[in-house]
Amino acid sequence: MKNKFKKWTPYFLLTPALLYYLLFWIRPVFSAFIESMTDLDGKFSLEFFIKVVQEPMFSTAFRNSLMFALISVILQFSIAFMMALLLNKKFKGVNLLLFIALIPMAVPPAAVAILWKTGFSTFGWINNILITFNLIEAPILWMTAKGFNALLFLILIDTWTVLPSVMIILLAGLQNLNKEYEEAGLIFGANKFQVTKDIVMPILKPTIVTAIILRMIAAIQIWMISVMMFGYGRVPFLVERIAYYTDVVPMLDESYKMSLTYSVIVTIIVMLSVVLYLKVSKKNKEEVEI
Amino acid sequence: MKNKSIITKTVFYLVIATMVIAILIPFFFFLSTSVYSEYEVYEFPRRFIPRTSFDLKIDWVDDKYDFAVFDDEINDYELLIQTDDLDKLRIFLKRNLSIQRTNEEIDRDFSVSKNGEPLLITYKKDLLYNYKTFFSITNNAGKAVLNSVIAAGFTIIISLFFGSLAGYAMARYKFKGRERLSLLLLVVRMFPAVAVAIPMLVYLIKMNLDNTMIGLAIVYSVGNIALTAWITSSIFTGINVELEEASYVFGATKFKTFIKITLPLAVPGLIACSMYAFLAAWNDSITALILSNNNPTLSLVIYKAIGSSSAIQLSAAGAVILIMPALVFTFIIKNYINQLWGEVKL
Repeated sequence: MKNKFKKWTPYFLLTPALLYYLLFWIRPVFSAFIESMTDLDGKFSLEFFIKVVQEPMFSTAFRNSLMFALISVILQFSIAFMMALLLNKKFKGVNLLLFIALIPMAVPPAAVAILWKTGFSTFGWINNILITFNLIEAPILWMTAKGFNALLFLILIDTWTVLPSVMIILLAGLQNLNKEYEEAGLIFGANKFQVTKDIVMPILKPTIVTAIILRMIAAIQIWMISVMMFGYGRVPFLVERIAYYTDVVPMLDESYKMSLTYSVIVTIIVMLSVVLYLKVSKKNKEEVEI
Repeated sequence: MKNKSIITKTVFYLVIATMVIAILIPFFFFLSTSVYSEYEVYEFPRRFIPRTSFDLKIDWVDDKYDFAVFDDEINDYELLIQTDDLDKLRIFLKRNLSIQRTNEEIDRDFSVSKNGEPLLITYKKDLLYNYKTFFSITNNAGKAVLNSVIAAGFTIIISLFFGSLAGYAMARYKFKGRERLSLLLLVVRMFPAVAVAIPMLVYLIKMNLDNTMIGLAIVYSVGNIALTAWITSSIFTGINVELEEASYVFGATKFKTFIKITLPLAVPGLIACSMYAFLAAWNDSITALILSNNNPTLSLVIYKAIGSSSAIQLSAAGAVILIMPALVFTFIIKNYINQLWGEVKL
């Protein structure tokens, strides 16, 4: 009797969380998928998918979201990795550095946007510094940037926010690494580059892959900084379109369906990244086991 | 060999210095902007360090006060306004120079200049002027702070309750579907919040929970329950079962053991979970925009302020208020930072 009870205890403990997910995760997401595939009368139709895809902003938003995620993640991780390699030794003040490096990541997105707006506005502090040191003569109109330049701005802002934390994560990984592996590599005549490529990287790979995927998923969902810096529509993103249909267009059935359909598209992209991640990490596991 | 070590050392400190400067300089100027007065915002080039006071010159000419401010760029006083209206002067001092003075004080000080000699006086700036003004001119800013705290509070309670039960089960019991459960938690964690928020709007309206903080917390908790389960599971795994068994030997019940032995050991981890829940709620704005547009949180209010007001120094003051708790809580959980990036080690 007691044994039987014990067997059921874990399920008993899990029930609340699973019920919660059934009610507030599975049910709404499932209904979103259904809703996105019906027209306003509730009949099956791909009307809104077609509307979304045919929208002039859609292809730009789609391209921008992917480009933003790819470029910023590649930029951030390669620079952070190089920095972590350079900083990989015991030194005084490492705690202070950790403290400072965490600041940008701790700033909420709304505040990040305002922080950089105080800098990039025509009479903001960036132009002020440049003029004070006689690097330019007249203020540069940063905020009029369009297209790829504007996207680049957002990538730089994102890099400021994320790079230090990524660096800290990688540095922590490097410092926990067993030094003997590296030393063994060096003894067998490998140079520093080879040791990094063939010994350090493979051991750190799981950490790096997880961090990259989490960053990519967050980056795909960028919207607020774009809207706060440039307003709606200048540098459209997928989630920015959702905000646009919620915030700017009055909340009608039609605009609700549009934002819903966009959210389904975002979900599909994110879930594809998760599947890709699981495939990669599974392969990693197998490699390690071999 | 010695040369090489000097070079590596230089590179080492150069990298650190570049990073620290790149982080702190924008932050410094951002903080400066939040205490600039209107007058200083329109100075160009602006002072790097904001003024704490203004040197004023008041001259009584043609039955009016000539009101001038010392400008070190031209090394002379700049005439700003000519008036004999005390209200006008008071409002000008307040709005443009962030100086708070009553009509009586202005009259008492300024009337000295009527004797013929110009009056030279230094007035202290109210450094918190932008912060106070942000709250007084932004609709519902005070309510929004309260809203953010309430939403975060509900999120903490919901995530801790549902998450730690699941985490305890995963740490202490072997059961069928355990692997699948941790996969599920991973997927939930990575799931875009906006994709839950939009369809949830319909359900929340049905339950009369749209534009409420509990409604927001329900959506915030979706990702946080998974994170909490994940973190608590590794905490409970780290707590030695033998301690619990020893407690049973001494006759304690299962419940008593949990309360007296297991829970206190898990407290630091539970605090970390609460902080994550807090940050998720505090930093979000897309969910609030979708579900609680008429009863906004602080983050949403600041997002909207930038669109409506052109006064960048006021938005900056609001943003500083938004940053404070986020900064404090991030530092409390900094030892758990790996969790945020998917590492399960503790």
